[in-house]
Amino acid sequence: MKPLARREGLLIRELPDELLVYDQADHRAHCLNRTAATVFRHADGTRTAAEIARLVAPEGADGEPAVAEALARLAEAGLLEKGPSPASLSRREAMRRAGLGAAVLLPAVASIVAPSPAEAAATCIYIQQNPTGCTGQSGTPCSCYGLPGSACSGTCLPTDTCSDC
Amino acid sequence: MGSWPSGMPRLRPGSVTLGRLDALGWRAGTCVEAYGLRIGVRTNVSELLDRLEAHLPPGWRPCPSPLVDQMFSLWVDPRSDGPSRPSRVYVGRRRRVRTPDVGRAFAVLESEIRQSVAASAVGRTFVHAGVVGWSGRAIVIPGRSRSGKTTLVAELVRAGAQYLSDEFAVLDARGRVHPFAKPLSIRGPGGCDLHARARRAEELGGTCATRPLPVGLVVLAEHRPGASWRPERLSPGRAVLEMLAHTVPARLRPEASLVSLERAVARAAAWKGERGEARELVPLLLESLESGEGRISRRSAGGRGTR
Repeated sequence: MKPLARREGLLIRELPDELLVYDQADHRAHCLNRTAATVFRHADGTRTAAEIARLVAPEGADGEPAVAEALARLAEAGLLEKGPSPASLSRREAMRRAGLGAAVLLPAVASIVAPSPAEAAATCIYIQQNPTGCTGQSGTPCSCYGLPGSACSGTCLPTDTCSDC
Repeated sequence: MGSWPSGMPRLRPGSVTLGRLDALGWRAGTCVEAYGLRIGVRTNVSELLDRLEAHLPPGWRPCPSPLVDQMFSLWVDPRSDGPSRPSRVYVGRRRRVRTPDVGRAFAVLESEIRQSVAASAVGRTFVHAGVVGWSGRAIVIPGRSRSGKTTLVAELVRAGAQYLSDEFAVLDARGRVHPFAKPLSIRGPGGCDLHARARRAEELGGTCATRPLPVGLVVLAEHRPGASWRPERLSPGRAVLEMLAHTVPARLRPEASLVSLERAVARAAAWKGERGEARELVPLLLESLESGEGRISRRSAGGRGTR
């Protein structure tokens, strides 16, 4: 198996020890640490995992578990065109084989979903739904203008401690 | 308010039509520009236009042309009087809120205008964050609404930090953060919305920054009562990712957003963790920024996150 990383539809930004990848298809952004970034760069469909491992690990070290782990994480993040499926790898086994000596090679891929403008900028503003029935007391149903599913709960926030209420 | 340009705003040719909304009997309107976005606001009650200025985004200026990029409409039931007047706010042709309170309608209008500016600003990247300045560098506190940004910003300002914003970090292409000094929206005791107040930085004993600052510290601090500040230090890449999660044009202009964020964090330390009370965190953050490398002292931070 010669893994192939995706290139289409990705914005890639190089940082000194990391790689930022923005997937324009699903608006997910990923931060690859040094090991994951090295695997991502060299997974070009011409090298086997063992060959990539030799590029990742210092001389004499076994880099294959770290590469296997990195490929699994890249696959989970949707950044592999061709490679092992995440389920086909036993990460625990791979890392057990790697042992403590490979700790510095531990690959990491952190991911987020980029927010829509409304999600990023939403401000919760309390809107009184029923002017005669709603006093703003905790638990009263109100409509909160803001972002559904965010900290805005759709009910009045506690006013029990508000000396002005 | 006599400086309002006269003339009802209308959308630029080629924009989506507003359909039946245009026929609602608009009596007054104005056009302003902020961060390169031309904004039209119209209402069916002429007197309400005089209340608009207080709700416009920082940095707005009158726009002589009636052609606008975005139209906001405030409709108030003309048969009613006093503060309880059924009102509706539209952005384009979409109704954003219906409320019996004109004051709340203005609050929504203000928020919608700011959101549009944040999404469409030319040459700027808006990140939902509180920002203060200290010793010539900015402390940026990204977070969602109700995450405690304003509380922390207010405490920092009371401690002598310069105020830049309690809502948006406005980044330029070099990664510097510009002031967006709207009044702080300080909720009542216990987070009470009914008694929220707008406070200027000067009312808290502080001052506003007037020029852009490089970022020295990025703080992702989720408030949890009783928590002690034991943050994790973030790598530059992780810091960019965390800030991107609060970046308004992240999906619209991902590349420009990433460039601004990268440059913003290039010389900044970034910390993430749970915090307790804001006033306990303030001296730690200021000390961290003054240490030059964003160091959190072992004594004050409880040991973790120490370099």
